[in-house]
Amino acid sequence: MILMNRLQLLGLTVAATFLATASVHAEGDKATGRKLVYTCNGCHGVVGYENAYPQYPVPKIAGQNQQFIVNALHEYKSGERNHPTMTAQAQSLSDKDIDDIAAYLSSLAK
Amino acid sequence: MKRTLTLLSFGAVLAFASTQLLASGNVDAGKQKAAACFACHGTDGNGIDPQYPRLAGQYNMYLQQALHEYKSGQRTNAIMKGFVATLSEQDIEDVAAYFSSLPTKLDTLNGHIQGDKN
Repeated sequence: MILMNRLQLLGLTVAATFLATASVHAEGDKATGRKLVYTCNGCHGVVGYENAYPQYPVPKIAGQNQQFIVNALHEYKSGERNHPTMTAQAQSLSDKDIDDIAAYLSSLAK
Repeated sequence: MKRTLTLLSFGAVLAFASTQLLASGNVDAGKQKAAACFACHGTDGNGIDPQYPRLAGQYNMYLQQALHEYKSGQRTNAIMKGFVATLSEQDIEDVAAYFSSLPTKLDTLNGHIQGDKN
């Protein structure tokens, strides 16, 4: 009986930990994100700024959807998505940084 | 000097004209062709779920670039790969013209970084 209770307790603890991790992952910190996007501003903060070779405008990212930003930065980091500047930037970011940036950018939706 | 200026202005006019040509899609045609996109990106182009990007009001030429990257395989996404395979160059220009013309929630970072007022 005691063993059973311990197992149940263990199960609950594991479940709670998973839940906690999941919600932490989903919720980045906007204030920290705001500081982190300082670097992004060099290209993404200039209206109509163009990427060179090939030439196309650097996308608007303020107000972009949260999970999409998280995915995009992880794809750049892993090399699945390939852009020299973005790969270098993403590789300098921790998972927490990425969550924070996504939380801030998505909060800017007009 | 005068000749240089003339040449330069010719060059500028040509560059401008070609940019306009590249960006010339038809918004109404794009709306028809974008029907397949709505399932994920929403009829308003803002995405039905946060995993899908907002397209509404994104730069026309950036949307075209993204579609071309999916088409060439430079950018990989199983869902997008299937859709772009059916799109012609004209379709890409039209669809990009349509989504870029929609009311937007997107912005550049201009005015949104630490130290800015808002």
